[in-house]
Amino acid sequence: MKRILDTGNAACALAVKAAKVDMVAAYPITPQTSVAEKLAAYIAEGEMDAKYLPVESEHSVMSAVSAAAAAGARTFTATSSQGLLYMHEILHYAAGGRLSLVMANVNRAICAPWCLYVDHQDAVSQRDTGWIQLFAATTQEIYDSVILAYKVTEEINIPVMVNYDGFLLSHSMMPFEIVDQEIIDGFLPPFSPAWRLHPQWGGTFGNVTPSDQYPPYRNSLAADIVKAGEIIEKNAREYQRLTGHWHGGLFDIYRPEGAEVFLLSMGSMAAEMELAVDILREEGVPAAGLRLRVFRPFPARELCRILPGGARLLVFDRNHAFGTGSGALLSEAKAALFDRKDVIKVTGQVMGLGGEDLPAAYLVQKAREMMGVLK
Amino acid sequence: MLEMRIHGRGGQGVVTLAELLAKAALKTGKEVQTFPFFGVERRGAAVKAAVRFDSQPIKVRSLSYWPDILVLMNENLLSLGLADGIAPGAFIVANGEKRLPVDNKQYLVDAAFIALNNDLTFGGEPYINVPMFGALCRVMDIPLDIVGETITEQWGAKKAVPNIAAAREAYEAVRELEGGGAHA
Repeated sequence: MKRILDTGNAACALAVKAAKVDMVAAYPITPQTSVAEKLAAYIAEGEMDAKYLPVESEHSVMSAVSAAAAAGARTFTATSSQGLLYMHEILHYAAGGRLSLVMANVNRAICAPWCLYVDHQDAVSQRDTGWIQLFAATTQEIYDSVILAYKVTEEINIPVMVNYDGFLLSHSMMPFEIVDQEIIDGFLPPFSPAWRLHPQWGGTFGNVTPSDQYPPYRNSLAADIVKAGEIIEKNAREYQRLTGHWHGGLFDIYRPEGAEVFLLSMGSMAAEMELAVDILREEGVPAAGLRLRVFRPFPARELCRILPGGARLLVFDRNHAFGTGSGALLSEAKAALFDRKDVIKVTGQVMGLGGEDLPAAYLVQKAREMMGVLK
Repeated sequence: MLEMRIHGRGGQGVVTLAELLAKAALKTGKEVQTFPFFGVERRGAAVKAAVRFDSQPIKVRSLSYWPDILVLMNENLLSLGLADGIAPGAFIVANGEKRLPVDNKQYLVDAAFIALNNDLTFGGEPYINVPMFGALCRVMDIPLDIVGETITEQWGAKKAVPNIAAAREAYEAVRELEGGGAHA
């Protein structure tokens, strides 16, 4: 294995190449653009044996990769922000159609007002499309998550979105290890779906369905996505066995020993949160970091299992769940903990919107405010 | 952790300079991170990038407020650089000839002259990021052979020749000065 220095977008493109994707369709949008550029270059220069389809919009991108996946191709696309929103209709189609798809979403704020920098509103607003959503915090985790995403989507036939923060991860360079091709080939054999569209075999896809037949399709997606957590964890363990790379299960827990105050967040802010936890620990606060790696399906059972009785949970949301008075992670966490018989105190704040900088000292200050609220 | 913040103008190769420094430091066994700040992406606009060096993996995912080293691609970026903050005892590395009017320890190199001297120009403008790379490697005690190796890996053997020459010239020419009095 070789250790190199490059951006998060480069790590993403290298993983897509290593996954031996058959087809890429993409439409450029900041900060995703260099992923599309690198893949276009790999394909044009013959480094990657794949078709690159430049289309006129993200709606067409998602339609194209969905159609290719239905025909049995291993596909990839990447987008950000408004691009993801423009895909919305077909995101439902891809998940409902139980297509194996991987997409990188380079997180960026939503307009209005117009903004190029990171928050998680784009991904969170696609929460109920039926996609699995992973969040990374390092370039290495971006690389590994893309490979893992193919394994998961091809096992469970539910599309996977790999999220990573715009600029803070997409354009920042950090060292990461490229996994040997033989190891990846062993982990990720060629895509051979149980069913696919083929002109000689007939069959239809996504046809008009009467009311008595429609619910089982939707209900099976709802049931299966809940099982995806186990499949993600199982395959992450297998990947660890082959590569030594491990970023955590559904949560990555930092300093859990004797912890009573848990700081929950996702994306790049969760890496900085470890520095905040160190500061709080030095001050005598029994703090731990809870980095959410899998936003969809939300790992409710794991959250209940991790938190000891009497724990305080502080939630740092980089998004709004409009109408709830908070962010999505706080709503999810509260719902997950509702059935706990003992008392767990939970509060949260929304911060870091549109790239608002979140240094550790600021996160500590916010943690103190939240602990004050819970007193 | 050692933190550096580079101030320059769009088109001067600030992002590439950050990349070269991180790659060279990685070769010495350091953990590194480049953290460019993208504002208005056009030639001449003020741009900045942080580079972080440490003995362990870097967890910071926020901007640079207290850099230990402030790098100015031109001496006239001093006020802009200081306005963004520096660590107590920070030193400054600048492209220029004149002692900067601040108390900080400073390293000066005439990177523009060195670039012109080695035909590193584009549209008549000198490419100063490679001489700055050489000077900064000297300041950070990164050996000269790693400077050459990094440049060769970045641009290939042929293109590396004038770049290595410029980097070497700056490596040797950079001079250390004590502070020159209060900031004007």
